[in-house]
Amino acid sequence: MSFNAPRILPALTVLTLTAGFALVFFFAPNDADQGFIQKIFYLHVPIAICALVGFIVAAFQAIMHLRTGESSWDVRSYVSIHISVIFGVAVLITGSIWARASWGKWFVWDEPTLVSFLIVFLLYCTYYPLRYAIEDRERQARYASVFAVTAGAFVPLNFIAVRLAESLVHPRVFATAEGGLTPKMTVTFLVCLAGMALLWLTLARFELAAKSTRARLGRLRRALEGDEVAVGASRIAPVPRQAGEAG
Amino acid sequence: MPALPLDEAGKYVAGAYVAFLALLLLYVAIMAARIQRIDRELAELAEIAEKRIDRPAPDSAGADAGAEENARGEAEGKVFERERSSRQEVIP
Repeated sequence: MSFNAPRILPALTVLTLTAGFALVFFFAPNDADQGFIQKIFYLHVPIAICALVGFIVAAFQAIMHLRTGESSWDVRSYVSIHISVIFGVAVLITGSIWARASWGKWFVWDEPTLVSFLIVFLLYCTYYPLRYAIEDRERQARYASVFAVTAGAFVPLNFIAVRLAESLVHPRVFATAEGGLTPKMTVTFLVCLAGMALLWLTLARFELAAKSTRARLGRLRRALEGDEVAVGASRIAPVPRQAGEAG
Repeated sequence: MPALPLDEAGKYVAGAYVAFLALLLLYVAIMAARIQRIDRELAELAEIAEKRIDRPAPDSAGADAGAEENARGEAEGKVFERERSSRQEVIP
């Protein structure tokens, strides 16, 4: 997905998210089982899906970096992980609030879905110290890409393992046998999911733009300061003329 | 799972949405700080570049002097050559 006009993507994001949240409170019916508290679902689940998909996208970008050796893929992979970790924080906060309201506890440690997401989140939190512990830029990028690929492969495996596990606490709203969502709820959820996906894209784009601008500024500074040093050196110690040139 | 009454559930729902918006605002604030830093650095670099434009290039004066010396040297060489050839003509 590529947007040339810099304002289209943020505008579309604001529009979709606003529409999604409006649908949550004015269109989607209250859940028969959980009541009004189920409205957190339209926030919590899309953020979680975007975070996990973002980790997988980062893995593909890391594969591209390892295949081509282009540093731009490494930067994209870094940004994808960064935004997904931020989304992960939002998932944990909103999930804890929902858990507190529904189950009376902020976190349930024997619930596979919650614990597995926490493990994935903590795994990706180690990405930053791993990356910045290596000074050599090329090695840093290569090791970070290997980490992103390995951890990215862990995400779907983890998801499948959790789906296979029997759980009595965490609801399975997309399960075919358990009823699932009504059409109005499905529409609302899809709009919220689209809004979150657009938000992820927008933030990733901003982050990439900021990183690219900083890199260009750094190059410009080095070039300008390098010239300054060269000019300064020539003023202090001018190149001596050879004896034959003295005239 | 019993449904919470609206007055109690509303607090949690509002809390979740406000927490999300607060996180988003925090991120935007951090991004704004980073953009300000970039802006400051850009201003510094622009200042360095402007100083370089205002200052005459130190090599240009040297190059002019060198060119003058070369021209003088060439002229002197021609005079010397003329004198030597005329001397050779005079001396048998």
